Amino acid sequence: MDENTNNNVLVIGAGMGGIQASLLLAEAGKQVYLVEKEPLFGGNVIKYEEVFPNMECSTCMIAPKQQEVLQNPNIELMTHSIVEDVQGSVGNFSVKIKKKARYVSLVNCIGCGACYDPCPVSLDNEFEQNLSQKKAIYIPCPGALPNVPVIDPEYCTRLKGVDECSACKDSCMFEAIEYDQKDEILDVKVTAVIVATGFGLFDITAAPKYGYGKVKNVYSAFEFERLFAKNGPTEGNTVLKGGENPNSIAIIHCVGRKELGYCSGVCCMYSYKFSQYLKHSFPDAKVFQLYSDMCVPGKSYQKFYKQTMDKGVDFIYHEDVEVKGNGSKIKLNVKNGKDKDQELEVDMVILAQSLKSTESNSELAKILGIEQDDKGFFVSMTESFEPASTAKPGIYVVGCSEAPKDVPQSIAQAEAAVGKVLALT
Amino acid sequence: MSNDFKPNIVGFLCNWCTYAAADLAGQSKFDIKPSINVIRVMCSSRIDPNLVLGAFLWGADGVLVAGCHPGDCHYEKGNFYTRRRFTQMKKVLETLNLDPDRLQLAWVSASEGQRYRDVINAFTDKIKEMGPNPLKPNPAV
Amino acid sequence: MSDKIGVYVCECGPNIGEAIDIDKVIEAISPIEDVAVVRRHKLLCSGDGQNFLVDEIKNEGLTHVVLGACSPKDHEITFMNVATRAGINPYLIQVVNIREQCAWIFKDKDIATKKAIKYIRAGIERIKYHKPLQKKELDANPDVLVLGGGLAGIEAALALTQTDRKVYLVEKSADLGGSVMKFEKLLSHQGFNLGLIKEKVDKINSNENIEVLTSTNVESVIGFFGNFEVTTKPAGEEAGGKSFIVGAVVVASGYNWFDLESTPRYGYKKIEDVFTINDFGRMIEESEKLKLSTGKEPKSIALVHCGGRKELGYCSRVCCMQMMNIGNYIKDKYPGIEVHELHSDLCVSSKNDQKYYEKSKEKGINFIRMKGVEVGGKAGAISIEYTTLAGDKGKLAVDMAVVAPGMIPEAGTPQVADMLNVPLHPTGFFKEGHEKLNPVGTTMDGIYVVGCAQGPKSFMETLIQAQAATGKIFSHLIPGKKIEPEVKVSEIIEAFCTGCQTCLDVCFYGAITYDEDKGVSVVNEAICRGCGNCAGSCPSDAIRPKHFTTTQLYQEVVEALRE
Repeated sequence: MDENTNNNVLVIGAGMGGIQASLLLAEAGKQVYLVEKEPLFGGNVIKYEEVFPNMECSTCMIAPKQQEVLQNPNIELMTHSIVEDVQGSVGNFSVKIKKKARYVSLVNCIGCGACYDPCPVSLDNEFEQNLSQKKAIYIPCPGALPNVPVIDPEYCTRLKGVDECSACKDSCMFEAIEYDQKDEILDVKVTAVIVATGFGLFDITAAPKYGYGKVKNVYSAFEFERLFAKNGPTEGNTVLKGGENPNSIAIIHCVGRKELGYCSGVCCMYSYKFSQYLKHSFPDAKVFQLYSDMCVPGKSYQKFYKQTMDKGVDFIYHEDVEVKGNGSKIKLNVKNGKDKDQELEVDMVILAQSLKSTESNSELAKILGIEQDDKGFFVSMTESFEPASTAKPGIYVVGCSEAPKDVPQSIAQAEAAVGKVLALT
Repeated sequence: MSNDFKPNIVGFLCNWCTYAAADLAGQSKFDIKPSINVIRVMCSSRIDPNLVLGAFLWGADGVLVAGCHPGDCHYEKGNFYTRRRFTQMKKVLETLNLDPDRLQLAWVSASEGQRYRDVINAFTDKIKEMGPNPLKPNPAV
Repeated sequence: MSDKIGVYVCECGPNIGEAIDIDKVIEAISPIEDVAVVRRHKLLCSGDGQNFLVDEIKNEGLTHVVLGACSPKDHEITFMNVATRAGINPYLIQVVNIREQCAWIFKDKDIATKKAIKYIRAGIERIKYHKPLQKKELDANPDVLVLGGGLAGIEAALALTQTDRKVYLVEKSADLGGSVMKFEKLLSHQGFNLGLIKEKVDKINSNENIEVLTSTNVESVIGFFGNFEVTTKPAGEEAGGKSFIVGAVVVASGYNWFDLESTPRYGYKKIEDVFTINDFGRMIEESEKLKLSTGKEPKSIALVHCGGRKELGYCSRVCCMQMMNIGNYIKDKYPGIEVHELHSDLCVSSKNDQKYYEKSKEKGINFIRMKGVEVGGKAGAISIEYTTLAGDKGKLAVDMAVVAPGMIPEAGTPQVADMLNVPLHPTGFFKEGHEKLNPVGTTMDGIYVVGCAQGPKSFMETLIQAQAATGKIFSHLIPGKKIEPEVKVSEIIEAFCTGCQTCLDVCFYGAITYDEDKGVSVVNEAICRGCGNCAGSCPSDAIRPKHFTTTQLYQEVVEALRE
């Protein structure tokens, strides 16, 4: 092989888009470095119990793909890792990847989980939206892959230098705990880079009218996903803060749409999904959807909306809303375009937040030398009809890192990027 | 006698959903009744009625067929076929003088480790109430 | 040669070692017929463990290996590779799950041990009936048929071009370009540079690896991934057809428009100066001028969204933006004309759409949210009656109306689907392979559907899909490389097959055909995915899903029930 060419591709982000791109590239014989910043992979989709519009089990859908990634000899999955530097140009990029210390050997650990219980430190589990606790050595949720825990150095008393605790190491029969692991820098050469860094959700604390953080039982979208997830903090039993099940729930659409200046295209659909979750668990509960525009594009989505309606969900048009506490209940003032505001009283509110770009995008944009738009999404070359390509040859952007999208749109864009990469050689 | 009776259940689990749920139940260290004997198949639609009847004739006190939720099948629609065949199998059991409830169909997805536990444990209790399979070959013979 | 089965129990540290009495297991398993060795190991999946297994297989001359270990989901592939390294067929290994589904769920050691013995015994009895299975390699033709010469087809055909790959681009009309070229002025106004499409068409026409067949229909496509036989026929002629082989097919057959005439409330074709988007596009393509039937320029125009949405039961995704584009076109060129957009839900789901909407409002377009609309009156005095969300009635008098008809499947879609053996969505568009995971594939390997043929899509989504099909083809169908179909497929025992053809109906992939001469069903191993549904349906037990045969499963049943 020519010294200046190689057979490698870097994929940044191991959610749906990154996984699909990696699998296709690997099948074509490319060597893929799949870099994921979290200690587990699978992206946001693994937080969901089910996906619209067919209410399919999310794990059943993505776990086989994850297994394929783990078993594919052409893919080197690097979780808990970040891309620190990229130099060079198409066909010959030099990449620096920082593999953060996990303190648990990916080779030796067999995932038995014997180390969690003995750990004396408990902390909030961010993956579970802080609805449950984890230990300083943990996997984020049952079924997380790779099934190898990680030690949080900010909380582990030994790694902080507070004491000589070795509870996890003592409980491990496989010599998998490695307190002296250090961050590692890996230098690799690749021909092309696919960016698939996914999305974040609109910061609801920035919009006080929704009462989040002040009014009890107002939940973010991810909190509710985890409250319904069978592998989540309540094993899927959706409970309010007091431990009781909700009887009346309002789901507020377009949370952040005005502030962000765009429609995310998926929140209507995931809100209907939430209604279906609720009607499944609590058939007698009142469920209200406070919508503005029903965004149900394409051949299948409107049917899903109709199905939701048929399950006895109430749809209320709203232009604005204010959420206030009222004893153990929540009061909503709904501006619905009529002269007089509508009032609603419920015991649970779920905020259907808009999708936004992830914060790490700006750092990555600098590293890669690619452009972001005013909303923080990466810019693709739509004007020259290359919607997966950036202005920098050899660097491609897919999925929600480029714009809000649903899963099939993200996957299609990932496949398109693969087409571009494979056309390079 | 009901207290001594330890049911023997044959469970055919689809590879993609329920078998994965059974693994997840294990990873979660759930307590599951030892009545269950797991046999892995690629899809619940693979289950030929002969295998179910064979299991009963060999003395199974209960047979569980479990796969992905309808609509989630890894092979498009396999579990719909399973569901249809099931209805027929239940009728056959009646003609054999077997309580059709000894045959159970369950949809358990890959994330439902706890549901897997509940299905197995509840089915075991139900079979316990019914007592042993009357067709069970006499071990003394 | 008689079987020599090796049984290895993994301690998995304390996970199995402490939960199960492995000595007892060894004692119970050792006397079983054909079992040559039973041993335990600390950790079979470790490098040491794998080397240990390779040595054992070689030194003991084992023919089969049963492993009592973790879930096959964890390490079946690891151990299959070990078998290959040791020189035995990877399907002569059976991984018995005594960790997740035994040691970890039965807290009583005695119970767990008994169960482990049962499961391992079942694995032993089962493996006695295992057959070595070989990976097959099939030659694959790298050429591709692209069906449809619109935006999606043009993009796919050009993107697919590689030195060792020929592309056949078949278009039933006389020209490439499809529906987008009919809206050149409108799309250009929206910022799309259609000159790029023309450049692509020129490149296609001059590319020797692309054969363009315009005014041509595809008559038949028979075969499977890597080997489809295609025949074509020139439109309206009997002779002059071609036939050729391709490895994959990209369907890009486009869409059609909902027939507004079928719904009287739009007044279409009954009232003059009521147009569809199509009519409007044609009008401005012919001359820049906006003209009423009287020849005068209109003073006020109503743009009515969601034409046929209720009847169709879905939202066509692109009409909101198309209508706003028309509104902008009018306002930019004829600022004096009043423009009213009567819309229901605004579908502005691409990241820049909402900004476009807000700009449209600033330009003075009057947006009216309605939940019902009727176009009445007569030429010169068209009246638009609508109901607001609050239920109030409203009325507008305009002298021109443009209604946005929804998108529907192209005529002939069912015939194409039938020819390709791919299913349709209830709406009549093509159905994707998986609505989430496989947006451009179909249930047939090697057949892809892109663009509006599979549902309403925006311009960019269409391009992405065309490029996505290209990505999949570049990944799966590489010139000079063979394809490897699934190994664990169904096979039919001809002697038992009664020719009832039940299996043909249940196979979702169309992998089974009927051999008229022999009177038996035949499985095409290149298509079969190994679910075993056919075996579940076969009344005469003539179908054997490899590695999950009735005999193999039956052994497991019997052992499960052994007292």
